[in-house]
Amino acid sequence: MLLTISEFLGRFHPVLVHLPIGILLIAAVFYFLSLREKYKALQQATSVALLLGMLSAVGSSISGYLLSISGDYEADIVSIHKWMGFAVAAIAIVSYFLYTRKSNAVKWTIGLMTILIFITGHSGGSLTHGSDYLTKSIAVTATKKEQKRIANVQEAVLYSDVVQPILEEKCYSCHNAAKQKGKLRLDGPEWISKGGKQGEVVITGKADESELIKRLLLTKQHEDHMPPKEKPQLSEKEIALLHWWINSGLSFDKKVKDLAQTEKIKPLLLSLQTAAGNEVKAKPQLPEASVEQADVAAIKKLTDRGVVVLPVAQNSNYLLVNFVTVQNLKEEDIKLLLGIKKQLVWLKLGNQPVTDDMLTSIAQCKALTRLDLNQTKITDKGFIHLQQLPNLQTLNLVGTAVTINGLTQLKNIKALQAIYLYQTSVDKQSYAAIKTALPKVAIDTGGYIVPTLPGDTTVFVKPKAE
Amino acid sequence: MTQKELNNQRLAVEAKQKELQFFTRRHFLKESAMGFGALALGSLLGSCGNNMGMASSPVFDAAHPLAPRMPFFPAKARSIIYLHMAGAPSQLELFDYKPELAKLNGQDCPPSLLEGKKFAFIRGVPKMLGPQANFKQHGKSGLWVSDYLPHFSTIVDDVSIIKSVTTDQFNHAPAQLLMHTGSARLGRPSIGSWVTYGLGTENQNLPGFVVLTSGGNNPDAGKSVWGSGFLPSVYQGVQCRSEGDPVLFINDPQGIDRDLRKASIDAINKVNQEQYKEFNDPEILSRISQYEMAYKMQISIPEVMNINDEPEYIREMYGAQPGKGSFANNVLLARKLVEKGVRFVQLFDWGWDTHGTSADGAVDIGLINKCRQVDKAMTALILDLKQRGLLDETLVVWGGEFGRTPMQENRDGKEMPFKGRDHHAEAFSMWMAGGGIKGGTTYGETDEIGYSIASGKTEAFDIQATILNQLGFDHEKFTYEFQGRPFRLTDVSGKVITDILA
Repeated sequence: MLLTISEFLGRFHPVLVHLPIGILLIAAVFYFLSLREKYKALQQATSVALLLGMLSAVGSSISGYLLSISGDYEADIVSIHKWMGFAVAAIAIVSYFLYTRKSNAVKWTIGLMTILIFITGHSGGSLTHGSDYLTKSIAVTATKKEQKRIANVQEAVLYSDVVQPILEEKCYSCHNAAKQKGKLRLDGPEWISKGGKQGEVVITGKADESELIKRLLLTKQHEDHMPPKEKPQLSEKEIALLHWWINSGLSFDKKVKDLAQTEKIKPLLLSLQTAAGNEVKAKPQLPEASVEQADVAAIKKLTDRGVVVLPVAQNSNYLLVNFVTVQNLKEEDIKLLLGIKKQLVWLKLGNQPVTDDMLTSIAQCKALTRLDLNQTKITDKGFIHLQQLPNLQTLNLVGTAVTINGLTQLKNIKALQAIYLYQTSVDKQSYAAIKTALPKVAIDTGGYIVPTLPGDTTVFVKPKAE
Repeated sequence: MTQKELNNQRLAVEAKQKELQFFTRRHFLKESAMGFGALALGSLLGSCGNNMGMASSPVFDAAHPLAPRMPFFPAKARSIIYLHMAGAPSQLELFDYKPELAKLNGQDCPPSLLEGKKFAFIRGVPKMLGPQANFKQHGKSGLWVSDYLPHFSTIVDDVSIIKSVTTDQFNHAPAQLLMHTGSARLGRPSIGSWVTYGLGTENQNLPGFVVLTSGGNNPDAGKSVWGSGFLPSVYQGVQCRSEGDPVLFINDPQGIDRDLRKASIDAINKVNQEQYKEFNDPEILSRISQYEMAYKMQISIPEVMNINDEPEYIREMYGAQPGKGSFANNVLLARKLVEKGVRFVQLFDWGWDTHGTSADGAVDIGLINKCRQVDKAMTALILDLKQRGLLDETLVVWGGEFGRTPMQENRDGKEMPFKGRDHHAEAFSMWMAGGGIKGGTTYGETDEIGYSIASGKTEAFDIQATILNQLGFDHEKFTYEFQGRPFRLTDVSGKVITDILA
């Protein structure tokens, strides 16, 4: 379909519009400077600038009007922009004539014109880039982080957790409440179903026939390709997710797990769980809830004893503690942990003479998720304390005298994921029993062997060719 | 004084005060207009100047340069063991299985592969060289590994192989520098220095960054690959030896006992303290802490660097033999160091440069022997870390500085006595394990003959970004101010390889 001549002229607006902004502003600057004796020479330039600015303002008003008729923009902002634009053109004309007649009132009209230019420019910017463009960079990073953290993709709602963020990032800027290119909005289920100028854009179950997907898949050079080639493009993964969303029934409220998943889509869905981008915040073994800052005095008591106490990250109050360099460990040292019991999440006590009794204090550190007790003196008697740690995920018992009798007491810790049992008193026969008692826990009993192959100790020499 | 005079005087004072007020306000506003503007601009551009409460790089604390510090976000890995095969192992004989290349064996290299390319030694038209090893799929994940690595192939389900690493340097020294410092030229801090600068070390009796070398030579790039560049010198790698004294001059000299040594160090430190009071140079505080560290290391280093303490079956697992400066010994030491809280252990094994100039440098002879030297030990390392509950918090990285050509090297255009491959910057393989890496995965692909990257292009910066990410750092925000601008390990590149993260 060919453009009408008026549509064609209208499309010059984005180019023309910058001329009056620049020229009229410089005219204003020249004018106010020329009021001073030093810059009097600028008076002549002011008049030329005002004339050129006036003409370009008229030109952009006309082209802008023609463009607004096409109606792809939100009526409210367009209307503000349109009338402001007219006003700028009008006041530019007035200023020019007042100036050439050396009227004093020109001071006021030029001042007013400057203000109007800013308002018009801003509303124009809001039309093209979206009304939140100026402030978006801050707002978006804040919301982005929230969206990308999908803890369990199977529990996520396909539309709001997976599809919507893609549309928001790549499509909203031209298809939203403020701006509807091709009369299409993609910022809500009802709009997506409604479609645009050329009818429906999604056909339930038929992704390949849906205009939305078709246009994404056109070559970048094709004029119907979406997003336009100068805008950020969708990745193959994102297209595949949209494709699957349409094919799996175009649901707006179903969870991922309730939809049939193809082999191709499974890894893509899984990859959403680890999020993308530079800051991959895979949260290792940390509680969801935040906690207040630990008592500084309590931390100091520990560090004075040579204990390493450190927040797990810069913005976290949770603490990791390492006793690696502590000498002559005493029960009092372990008791110091009570001062930070709410914050303590990772505790390393390996190779220290920790006894079962000392575990009474540790049992009160309910936030603990990782506990290393390797090469300590604990026995099965210590488990009466260990089983009181509801959040414990990883327990390192390497080189201790624990047996199956103790280990089975851990069966009520739902969070438990891994236990290391290398070189413990657990005998081989009870491995199976431990597995049944703790079915969800990965149990590593170690004792791996790397056999010595003949090649390991000999030097290979190439057999001589016959 | 008459009443009138008094009034006049009052009026005069009042007028003067008025004038003064008038003047001050004008004066104030006029003089501070720029200042206000700048203030407003500063806060408007806040996102540029400061990070708005986001992650901030550590500030160098001269008095406690190695004190443990927290990362930006909770880390998956607390320690790193980086195994660098200096000389560049052939990916085509180890991980990157190319059956198509076998079909081309002995044929002339097509001109399309040579046009506009420069090689270190290949001249004229070389012949293609098929894979010299036999490949098989291993583990539940079905990763391809050659029979050169019979032990490693049993643990593929724990590692992630990246087959699409690429570099722009085809000489050893610059390529090694790029891999470890993010720049092919000298002067930048190594990744181990960056990490110790960022995280310090949890064991104040040991250095945070230890380097061990084997294979008879230091890497071609020399000690700069573990140098501290423009970071304070306390962050450079401490090279330890697995033969003889682990650190040179660590023992007290004859006739000087430990108490006397302590007394003399205290005296030196006192002098340094005086100096510091006078000049306030933070480097003096660093010096003091270095003296104290050296004193502590006299006890701690010989203790941790002694593999005789390890039980026989562990030594056998690694293939370690006390008293030898072998890769196996170094790998076992690496585990012991990490167990003691050392942050970054860097191993270099020299001798992987298989050009085919001699039997030792042939991909079908010498390479097999190099593999035999490392295969058992690196496999044992992964398994031993795993059974000790350390693998999930220790990131192990293995790789060279570049790859090797799918063509047989023809140095100076002549046929070579042995089968060798030239340096190849475009494609090579590395692997990572532990520390939050997804086991049993491969990332990226090369083309059918392993010449160039087909998908998942990975640069040294991406490897570095991934390592920093696992340690809890955003590589784009982890900076050090030098020569008037913040510097990053990854300069202006780098992307975390999210596909291999668990």
